[in-house]
Amino acid sequence: MSALVAFGRFEVGRLLRSWKFLVITVGFPVLFYMLFLRDHSSGKIVYAGVTWREYLMVSMCSFGALIAALNAGGSRVALERAGGWARQLRVTPLPAWSYVAVKMTASMLVVLPVVLLVELVAATFGGVSLSPETWVGLSALLWGTALPFSALGVLLGFAVSTEAVFPVVTGLLFVLAYFGGLFTPVTSMPGALQVAAHLLPNFHHLSLGLEVLSGRTLAASHWLVLGGYTLALGGLIVWRHRVEEARGVA
Amino acid sequence: MAPAAHSFGDLPPVDAPARLAQHEPVPPSGALSSEREPALRFSGVTHFYGEHRALDDLHLEVRRGQTLALLGPNGAGKSTTISVLLGLVRPRFGHVEVLGRAPRDAVESGRVGAMLQTGSGTGLPPGVRVVDVVRLVRRLYSHPAPLDVVVERAAITTLLYRRTDHLSGGQAQRVRFALAIAGDPEVVFLDEPTAAMDVEARRSFWKMIRALGDEGRTTVFATHHLAEADQVADRVVVLHHGQVVADGPGATLKAAVASRQVRFVSGRPDVDVLNSLEGVTDVEVRGTTVTLSCLDADASIRALVRSEVEFRDLEVTGAGLEEAFLALTSAARRPEKSRPEKSRPEKKGQP
Repeated sequence: MSALVAFGRFEVGRLLRSWKFLVITVGFPVLFYMLFLRDHSSGKIVYAGVTWREYLMVSMCSFGALIAALNAGGSRVALERAGGWARQLRVTPLPAWSYVAVKMTASMLVVLPVVLLVELVAATFGGVSLSPETWVGLSALLWGTALPFSALGVLLGFAVSTEAVFPVVTGLLFVLAYFGGLFTPVTSMPGALQVAAHLLPNFHHLSLGLEVLSGRTLAASHWLVLGGYTLALGGLIVWRHRVEEARGVA
Repeated sequence: MAPAAHSFGDLPPVDAPARLAQHEPVPPSGALSSEREPALRFSGVTHFYGEHRALDDLHLEVRRGQTLALLGPNGAGKSTTISVLLGLVRPRFGHVEVLGRAPRDAVESGRVGAMLQTGSGTGLPPGVRVVDVVRLVRRLYSHPAPLDVVVERAAITTLLYRRTDHLSGGQAQRVRFALAIAGDPEVVFLDEPTAAMDVEARRSFWKMIRALGDEGRTTVFATHHLAEADQVADRVVVLHHGQVVADGPGATLKAAVASRQVRFVSGRPDVDVLNSLEGVTDVEVRGTTVTLSCLDADASIRALVRSEVEFRDLEVTGAGLEEAFLALTSAARRPEKSRPEKSRPEKKGQP
């Protein structure tokens, strides 16, 4: 247990000291929030009583969570594996699952400040005003339900080579963000894309946040899809790990 | 079933001071009656990477406290052997034990340390100081070695506050050595620890590896340098195509592979005379071409000149390590073995 704690602290410390990573992770959603805010009339209702400035806050929280998770997991894990550090850890007493667990935890820990910062910017510059309970509930919800993004990040780190990981992460980031409705409401997209959006995790992540803001009950389908993604991606991580063990490249 | 490995003398006695040169004949390992469990045991281990047979019915036992060199050309199965011992690779067939347990359990119990090959990377996490990594790895073990001991043994005092991404290749290797010993392990595995090092650095590494043996740790290291195996190890196991083709103390092995071949053309070669020449270990005659295998080619040639044997077109070819491997391998290969897929008992069952 103390080994796991030591490794967790080491990883989180390393992630938080990596300021280039943090600036990019936090910078993009904040920048996009400010840019997109001007494009539309920010007070316009775009979703069941939710204004564009509120919508954009939730969607940029989701975007930031995705960037944080895909980079903290994907790119960094792929690099560490190529460099041999991940393998070195596997020959210490650290249990085999703890590498994945700590990587996912570390990326979740970066997601939280990203969510909070986007909310702060939205409150300060976007004129979003919510009750204290709603702020807390929304933050907790957007943070907790970012778990499938963490799993996706770690899986990419395991499955994609170093050369491919940056294009793959960037590509996925924009595909998931755009088609999940993070840049423009899904309702303004053509019918086929609206259907496709329901298959993507960010759409459901976003929808949960929007439902909180509009005071609706949270639809079970969002939880199901996000939970399903987490389980499926977790299963794929385990499977990759097994395959590598048999091949001897773990 | 297993091919008879060449036996170059036998193992030195259990408590012999762990250095070479004073090995005495001891009964073959089967008759070794040590009450203590061997530190490492491989029985009938076979592993494939796709179609490639990386380990081929490998049998090997290593006593506690022994320093063993795994010697062999690239692709011989050295890294696979070490990966299997560390539980990184689960072999397709056969049984492996490290300190009496499954390899992964032995690693998780904290009694094993390792330095792996890292390809182009440093094997270290980027963006942190050396001291942070060493501290972390110590904390992963329940009974680590004191930090100052680790630092001194691995000679990394001057590197402690450097960032891991600012180290030279040789420096990173020392840091990785420090990680291998940080947990004060009973068994240490080093996969080509001196790869890409210059002679100076290599020699200082040899001292570090020897010190592990002197401290009573069981040490297994892979190398393709015969000199390294000879200088550092109590016992050298030569691997080729995933099989043990030679096993014994380094000095004997070195003598065996240091032989040279003297070839010449002779009208009427007298095999008995040739066999009696100083330093000749083997005579082969094909038509008029004679090939002598010699431990000391210079002495053999002098003797040849003094003898009545007429000769011309004399040439001496050195037996480098590659030739030595080939010689050992061809001698160990079963005659009927053409394709490895043929007539193999595959059903060994997993432990």
